[in-house]
Amino acid sequence: MKKVKIIAGITWAFICLILIIILFPGLNSFSASAAKLPFMKINPNYSGGEVAQQLIATGCTLDIRKPVFDGLIKKRNKGFVQLDWRGNVPDKIVDTIDYDLDNKPDFCIFVDRDQSKTVLDPINSKVRDIIISTPTSYGWAVRVELIK
Amino acid sequence: MDNALTSSGMKKSFGRSLLYTLPMFLITFMFMTGGRPDFSRPASALAMVVTFLFVNILYFLMHYTGKTDKFRAILFIIFALSLSFTLINNMLETRNSMSFSQADILECKIPFCHLVIPMMILPAAFTNSIIFPGSIIGGFANIASMVVLWLVATLVLGRGFCSWGCFYGGWDDGFSRIRKKPAIKKISEIWKWMPFAVLIMVSLTAALSLIPTYCDWICPFKAVTEFEQVTSVESATKAVIFVSLFAGLVVVLPVLTRKRTQCGFLCPLGAINTVSNKVTPFTIKIDKKACTECFKCVEVCPLFALSTEGIKEGKASVFCSKCGKCVDACSKNAIHFGIKGVPSCTMKNFSRNLFLFVSFLFMSVFSAGSIINSLQSLLNLIF
Repeated sequence: MKKVKIIAGITWAFICLILIIILFPGLNSFSASAAKLPFMKINPNYSGGEVAQQLIATGCTLDIRKPVFDGLIKKRNKGFVQLDWRGNVPDKIVDTIDYDLDNKPDFCIFVDRDQSKTVLDPINSKVRDIIISTPTSYGWAVRVELIK
Repeated sequence: MDNALTSSGMKKSFGRSLLYTLPMFLITFMFMTGGRPDFSRPASALAMVVTFLFVNILYFLMHYTGKTDKFRAILFIIFALSLSFTLINNMLETRNSMSFSQADILECKIPFCHLVIPMMILPAAFTNSIIFPGSIIGGFANIASMVVLWLVATLVLGRGFCSWGCFYGGWDDGFSRIRKKPAIKKISEIWKWMPFAVLIMVSLTAALSLIPTYCDWICPFKAVTEFEQVTSVESATKAVIFVSLFAGLVVVLPVLTRKRTQCGFLCPLGAINTVSNKVTPFTIKIDKKACTECFKCVEVCPLFALSTEGIKEGKASVFCSKCGKCVDACSKNAIHFGIKGVPSCTMKNFSRNLFLFVSFLFMSVFSAGSIINSLQSLLNLIF
């Protein structure tokens, strides 16, 4: 039994040695494999959720993302919808948004990029307030707070 | 697999030490240069050569002098400093600021560090997603690479990750070495369980809020890496907490106690690494016959892993980070690196050589990138 324990211990130590030797040269491929694991995606609370609609105007694209209400186990009562303007974004943005795709406008949004001023005009009672309005590397992004 | 010991512990002859360093020399050369050293940019080449020689000299000295902790700590502290330097430099270059903006969060551009891992587990299990605004793959400090690096390191080294792999540990390790004798000697051992309480608290709060609460509110190392832009009372409060915890747990208490108080009392990842210490093949063994019960090892242990009762029983606890401080402190060579399953006081040299090779290889390759980057930036600044 003592010998078995010694052999097992040394074998495990050598396996560890091999693991460390192959870790760095193989890091890119191990990471790529790890990235394919089902949980390896950014939570919508950070990523903003999937793009639900894409509106294209001259040189500028508006991505309206799916509303995010994600909680640990069930949906939360409070959430948000994220809007991303990409490309040649005008200095003053004026858009009417139908985030729930019911063919009725839910809110109007006005962004003055020069003054960093954003005004929300809610039409749907589920639309509450602006959480974030910020310049980004791709243009401008706004998160609007929603309730269920 | 010799068992012979010289009077000064694991000290080896010059030639034998060189021979033991040769595999490290070759492997680090391959890993640092990819087998093809590039001398087209002098600053980069010089930084690479200096780093390469520096790590290999440290490894050689570990064998030649028989001392472990002294040389480990040098690289460990430089790793922490250079990582912070690289991170700050990277942020200043890309954002012109040490703080991250709301846009950085929205675009998932925040560098990921291993301290987020304890908070990822429950949300990943329940929501199938990662609650961190970073990049899954590609870019600087991406999530997939950091998770793989930590997973392998904790499996292989257990809590040894905290002394051989963590790029923050060098901060309080460094400060704990400033005074020769501790000003505060009596610290209740109950504090060593605190990281488990922090782990439970941050895991639950992160799961309920889907926010990495430790990073958001507690992490002392935000003070030397990145933090949220101070734009509100909340963000100002967070900044005060980060700086206070850094000053208290990473600077003042380590200086006064000569213990690694942040690692020992707060770090939730340290708690997980303590559990994985059960899996690693490497451990610290105590030869009860040789031990004179002077308890010098208990005194010097920076993470409360050794106790007088444990020494009498011939056991180091799972809190051990295998830093080697106790091994270096023992004048009777009664404490040594060992392999689980192998009886204590047998194969001492073999076990130490194997452990040093594995742990030092991990630390040197992991740290090389940030040390080279920092040196290169300094050289560019000077010339």
